[in-house]
Amino acid sequence: MSERPPQTEPEIVELVRSIDVRAPEELHRRIDALIAERSGQDPVKRRRAAALRLGFAGALALGVIAVALIVGLSGSGGSPLSLHTAVALTLRPATMAAPALDPHNQMELAANVDGVAFPYWDDRFGWRSTGARADDVGGHTVRTVFYARGHDQWIGYAIVAGAAPSVSGGVVRERDGTRYRFLSEHGARVVTWLRDGHLCVVAGHHVSDATLMALASWHSSEMLDS
Amino acid sequence: MRPLDPQSLSKHVDRLYRAAWALCGSREDAEDLVQETFARVLSRPRTLRGDDELYYLMRVLRNTFLTGLRTASRRPVTAAAIEDVVAADPKPTSRPEQAYEVQEIYATIAGLPENFRLALVAVDVLGLSYKEAARALRVREATLTTRLFRARKQVAERLTPNDRQSPRIQREDKDSTGVLSSEGTP
Repeated sequence: MSERPPQTEPEIVELVRSIDVRAPEELHRRIDALIAERSGQDPVKRRRAAALRLGFAGALALGVIAVALIVGLSGSGGSPLSLHTAVALTLRPATMAAPALDPHNQMELAANVDGVAFPYWDDRFGWRSTGARADDVGGHTVRTVFYARGHDQWIGYAIVAGAAPSVSGGVVRERDGTRYRFLSEHGARVVTWLRDGHLCVVAGHHVSDATLMALASWHSSEMLDS
Repeated sequence: MRPLDPQSLSKHVDRLYRAAWALCGSREDAEDLVQETFARVLSRPRTLRGDDELYYLMRVLRNTFLTGLRTASRRPVTAAAIEDVVAADPKPTSRPEQAYEVQEIYATIAGLPENFRLALVAVDVLGLSYKEAARALRVREATLTTRLFRARKQVAERLTPNDRQSPRIQREDKDSTGVLSSEGTP
């Protein structure tokens, strides 16, 4: 770009402003997907956006999620909720602000499903809540809270209202009498288990099973090492 | 006042990426920062008060960047497992010699004190006016002007040949003796 290093203020300005590096295509795709999700709030737009996304070969993972949601969300209401769909919800963007810390319980957020509260992990694990969403799938209300740690780790924590759908597959590990099932869906690592009869799903990319177990098995009455 | 149109944001990705790269000093961190910035902006409907989107994005980028710094400083540093590392796009530019210079220039900017860095990124990398940049960074315009002048001066000093050689001299000396013996000749 320049034969000798810039030494004056105008030269520095010219040099910095001359840089025209383009963002990586993968980043463009991810941002486009975020924008499409935000723009497609009504079902027709959502399906159209999903169909458009399917046209991009590189966005295969997103296409899989969109198809799952169309199947899960656009039926006549009778489609049963599957773990596959629940996981897809944890990977979608937030549509609501992050719930605040519960003023009456410093270990929980002020958000719950039938009394099953979402945990507050910031002080203990460094995972802060960043947003939330609520969906109705097959007669079930699914609330999801999203958490992030740093700039590169994201997870979604979904709690399904009502009777828990059956779940199979994966690897089951038991801790303190609770069975935690680990598996992969949509390219994300997933742990699922029951809290007071409610199906809970935590899924994310770049998160180890050990971290998922530590997060899932921690609750207000115990303090585990992360 | 007008609602923010999400569709209008995609044209700013490249500029925001360059700004994030100059703030973070690394392409990988820049990608994460840009994605998190857009996720925040798009998490709910937004209203702009007569300002354009770029000004608003810069404000969110700044807040996201500073929040990330503070969060990171509170956490113990842990090494990422190899399977957790996702390689950044290996071809950010079609010109390898430019890629080297860009990395060097942005790394130099990222090495500036935080306030200087933000001022230079807002005006010279992102292209905001002094007035917009001052508002986005929540400082007075006179303060921004001063920071910008000093930031450019420091970048010029750090990009001069002697300064550019200093880190290599230091590394070589440390490798051979274990002790830093020279800061480089002026």
